[in-house]
Amino acid sequence: MYRYDEFDAQLVADRTRQFRGQVERRLAGRLSEAEFRPLRLMNGLYLQLHAYMLRVAVPYGTLNSEQFRMLAHLAEKYDRGYGHITTRQNMQFNWPKLPDVPDMLDDLASVQMHAIQTSGNCIRNVTCDPYAGATAEEVEDPRPMAELIRQWSTLHPEFTFLPRKFKIAVTAAEKDRALIKAHDIGIQIVRNTNGDVGYKIYVGGGLGRTPIIGQILREFLTKGELLAYLTAALRVYNRYGRRDNKYKARIKILVQETGIETFRDQVEAEYASIDISDIAVSEEERNRITAYFAPPEFETLDNDPAELQKALEANKAFSLWAKNNVAAHKASGYAIVNISLKPKDLAPGDITAAQMRAVSDIADKYSFGELRSTHQQNLVLPHVKQSDLLALFAELETAGLAADNINLITDIICCPGMDFCALATARSIPISQAIAERFADPERQRTIGEMQIKISGCINACGHHHVGHIGILGLEKAGVEFYQVKLGGDASEHAEIGKVTGPGFSQEELVDGIERMVDFYLETREDSERFLDTYRRIGIAPFKEVLYA
Amino acid sequence: MSTLKHKGKGPQSMTANELRDGYSVWLDENLDWTRDFKRALRTEDQDLIDRMQLKADTDEKANFVVGVYFIDIEPDTGLPVRYREKFRVNGPSYDTADLLETT
Repeated sequence: MYRYDEFDAQLVADRTRQFRGQVERRLAGRLSEAEFRPLRLMNGLYLQLHAYMLRVAVPYGTLNSEQFRMLAHLAEKYDRGYGHITTRQNMQFNWPKLPDVPDMLDDLASVQMHAIQTSGNCIRNVTCDPYAGATAEEVEDPRPMAELIRQWSTLHPEFTFLPRKFKIAVTAAEKDRALIKAHDIGIQIVRNTNGDVGYKIYVGGGLGRTPIIGQILREFLTKGELLAYLTAALRVYNRYGRRDNKYKARIKILVQETGIETFRDQVEAEYASIDISDIAVSEEERNRITAYFAPPEFETLDNDPAELQKALEANKAFSLWAKNNVAAHKASGYAIVNISLKPKDLAPGDITAAQMRAVSDIADKYSFGELRSTHQQNLVLPHVKQSDLLALFAELETAGLAADNINLITDIICCPGMDFCALATARSIPISQAIAERFADPERQRTIGEMQIKISGCINACGHHHVGHIGILGLEKAGVEFYQVKLGGDASEHAEIGKVTGPGFSQEELVDGIERMVDFYLETREDSERFLDTYRRIGIAPFKEVLYA
Repeated sequence: MSTLKHKGKGPQSMTANELRDGYSVWLDENLDWTRDFKRALRTEDQDLIDRMQLKADTDEKANFVVGVYFIDIEPDTGLPVRYREKFRVNGPSYDTADLLETT
């Protein structure tokens, strides 16, 4: 993976030193809160409902074991023993104290990490397919391009005060695991009819209070054009994006109000005015960055080794886990392992310091020291020998990380909600726990099959409820929490916004209603239909009927 | 801090967050900051309310607390009126840290 060059290291060190000075001046009263607030936000430090919260950037969701151990160290030394994986592949700490934060940033810098651009109206951390570099489905590893965007966008002077925050996601596979169509800009690495590798650019997607699926801005962009073209798109947004109303300030609103054709014309006109050679990165530099992401030295192995087959037959728990949590790898004899952070007893995405250390050790032993965080709030070990899967499973069991529910009904995306977030209108964690409890039977989960439930504790939709097969939005009226349901959302390459069913429910009514819909789906489905397939075939009306029965 | 104004009618409490630790605090009867809402001063007395405002502004300037604001209190329960503020009083209903402390 990418290693900081001198420039990166200097930049992060300077920024950390700068923030230490700012914290000292704040504590000494030489900076007011009004002066300090934008500075702390630029370093990922929020003041939440009960305490400060530090959001650490995990660029394109890629971590090494040393970095993950450092996150465990931060959790233990400065926080309350755990961290939370966010829906943008970052890690949040819920209880840091202001005087400790400069030390936390120093510790992060020692492993080439930081919290820059995890807040504010700038280009945020770039997110990526967590299977990058490991899946045979991709045209090429998207991380070198994500890294290029990271370098270009970090402290970019022109794009530090945009009308609103700006999120970019990248993938190189047709199967979308990065939700690219729900981002301000989504980039898919594609091959054109001539066999050239380049980029398909989507723009104007987003969730929040105005959910919109992104539209194609450019069908194909050659590699050398990327940064200049992104610059053109950001300039148009910076110039015409609304600054009078923060709820109308995202690029999705600009694209809707302008119309995609006119917006595209504006971007192309701006692009035509740019001297590409000023911005474009040479092939040599692209190759230099790409070299950091060279695949590890895989051994020459056969798929489905005999010892694996034997273990699958002998050990039912292992077999069920492998079926759900293990995905195909591009190298013969290897596998991609998903680690579920959705056990019944923790909040979705939470992981303790002890578990972080265990995962780091496991990554060192079985996955070339590499791991990934996912926007679904899970972890991935990208390169595991199939013959090691049983031993790895045993170690995950010991660490309490062997839940075999990836993509099942209890693999719920869930924001922190009112339990932690200052913006939330209702709790979301207890809802996810109640659903997990109701559907705790693993056999029942497997019978239901792929099901994506996503829960947000407010209209800002950090829990991606708009694109859940079942989406849940927590609201509050007159001191009572209630939950609105959406159906038919889709976070895949066939991205779709779900439809609201109608009036909301109490927590208890909600879980009963979901169970009735699930039972109805099981009675109604044809062949191997998923919940979403049945919904699409028969429409919302029958589901509404059982939901409100 | 809260983005909604309180109504300013009926009993009120003054709240903020500690600058250093970030925890929620309320002014108590001695006009000291407490992390325990049970000890919070709840009053309709305008003189006291004025003193609370002065103390809060002073402590904010002195960098003990940030984001001071009044909250409305239900006369019958003594709890905050707004749901969000009720929640601040109790802390998270779920926190993985609590689980770690019990194991």
